[in-house]
Amino acid sequence: MSTGTASNRPRYAPLAPDPRARAHLLVTDHQDIAEAAFAPGIGLADFPERWDVVAHALVLPEPFGGPGVQHFRSASHLLALLRHRLAAETMGLRLYVTGSEPFVWDAARVAIEAGMGREEMRLFATGKPVRRVSCVHCRTINPGVTTTLVTCAGCGVVLTVRDHFSRVHNAWMGVQCDAEVPGEVPAIEDLSA
Amino acid sequence: MTNARTLHLKVARADGIAPTLRRVHLVAADGARLPPAAPGAHITLTLPAPAGGRPLHNSYTLVSADPEAGYEVIVRLSERSRGGSRHVHESLAPGDGIEATAPHNLFALHSQAKKHLLIGGGIGVTPMIAFVTHLREQGASFELHQIAAPAEVGVFEALLAPRAGERIHIHAGRDAFGLTALLAAQPLGTHVYACGPAGLMDGVEAAAAALGWPETHVHREDFGAAGGEPFVLRLAASGIEIAVAGDQTMLEAIEAAGVDTPSLCRGGACGVCMLPVSEGTPEHRDHYLSEAERGAGCLVMPCVSRSRSATLVLDI
Repeated sequence: MSTGTASNRPRYAPLAPDPRARAHLLVTDHQDIAEAAFAPGIGLADFPERWDVVAHALVLPEPFGGPGVQHFRSASHLLALLRHRLAAETMGLRLYVTGSEPFVWDAARVAIEAGMGREEMRLFATGKPVRRVSCVHCRTINPGVTTTLVTCAGCGVVLTVRDHFSRVHNAWMGVQCDAEVPGEVPAIEDLSA
Repeated sequence: MTNARTLHLKVARADGIAPTLRRVHLVAADGARLPPAAPGAHITLTLPAPAGGRPLHNSYTLVSADPEAGYEVIVRLSERSRGGSRHVHESLAPGDGIEATAPHNLFALHSQAKKHLLIGGGIGVTPMIAFVTHLREQGASFELHQIAAPAEVGVFEALLAPRAGERIHIHAGRDAFGLTALLAAQPLGTHVYACGPAGLMDGVEAAAAALGWPETHVHREDFGAAGGEPFVLRLAASGIEIAVAGDQTMLEAIEAAGVDTPSLCRGGACGVCMLPVSEGTPEHRDHYLSEAERGAGCLVMPCVSRSRSATLVLDI
């Protein structure tokens, strides 16, 4: 049921700099970016300005520092300064985002709110599929879900995680698993496989 | 050509605002409500040709459009008028009836834009007036740069005066205006809209592309550059041969020959008039066909495009 045919699972293309852009900024919530995040022949060196997350970074990042690598202590810290940076940016920038799926779409949201369109950003989610699940009954967001059944932290019902992703809410849809026939609980499956 | 979409209008007022500019206010002939139109929309007027030829179809942007109050257009007297703009300037009088298409919009404002950068050249001011009125009402962020011939700066100042403000700039000639610096200073989420001579609009497109603007943020409206070398058009299926004069479009020549063919914007933007080419080399002037389609040479937009070869054969 969770992997029905009506999936709108996001598809990601490996990253490569857009040759038409004036400037490029690559952001990630990791420290080390997997090679799989880049298109063939493309690597870190093709993105001279990079922001990453290093938990114990000791130097304050400089969001207007230009080319170079800036380390942020958390993804939230990075996203807050990304909002600040984009508010002062001019047209011609491309934003490249790689990392966990929730981070990728959080960054996309920041970019959209700053006025960027989908053609001005490139997204690539990596790592183990970990889903942020929104309960349609109580609106609670359940982070870190790796199975098709999860107990909602808000209302306590057992949700089945449908293969439906909301780009606006940055969350997968969770619906009470026995809503149709009470007591009929589907088999649990591993989403991270 | 009359169909269900034809509007029967009459001239309510017409006044000269400059030696070459005439503002015409049109209302429904029967006093009914007119279809609404968003800023950027145009109507195509049916105008009598001189010496009783086939009528001309000229498209004009609506400067204002209100279902009750009517439509307003501003018509520039073309130096190379084929009779249309001359008729509007010299013959059209209050009370006259005139046929028009319902409004179509191929130059709409982008609803998601954070800021609208408007660049008008000469008579390309017409959609800009509609845009400024609308954006003011919406409280949206915008900036207008209007380029005028040095002798006409006063005319444009007067035209834009009711909407004047620090966000409206009138420049005397294109050289008085730093296009690249202007585009380079725009915040994320800006959309640019250009209307005016092809050279100005090409310049905006090229400068924006060089600065990394995505194409989706660059909008232009053409009036359709008519004119060029005369050539011969052969319609393969019907066996008709048509001479296309230098001051006539291919579409007008086809219509003048009595062949009905669909058309809408008559400015190379909408794609409705597209026709198949079987021989000859088209000179593409539209903004509809992709580079690949142009390269294949099998399609042509007769409203604006012409022929590089002496004869062009269409498969109709």
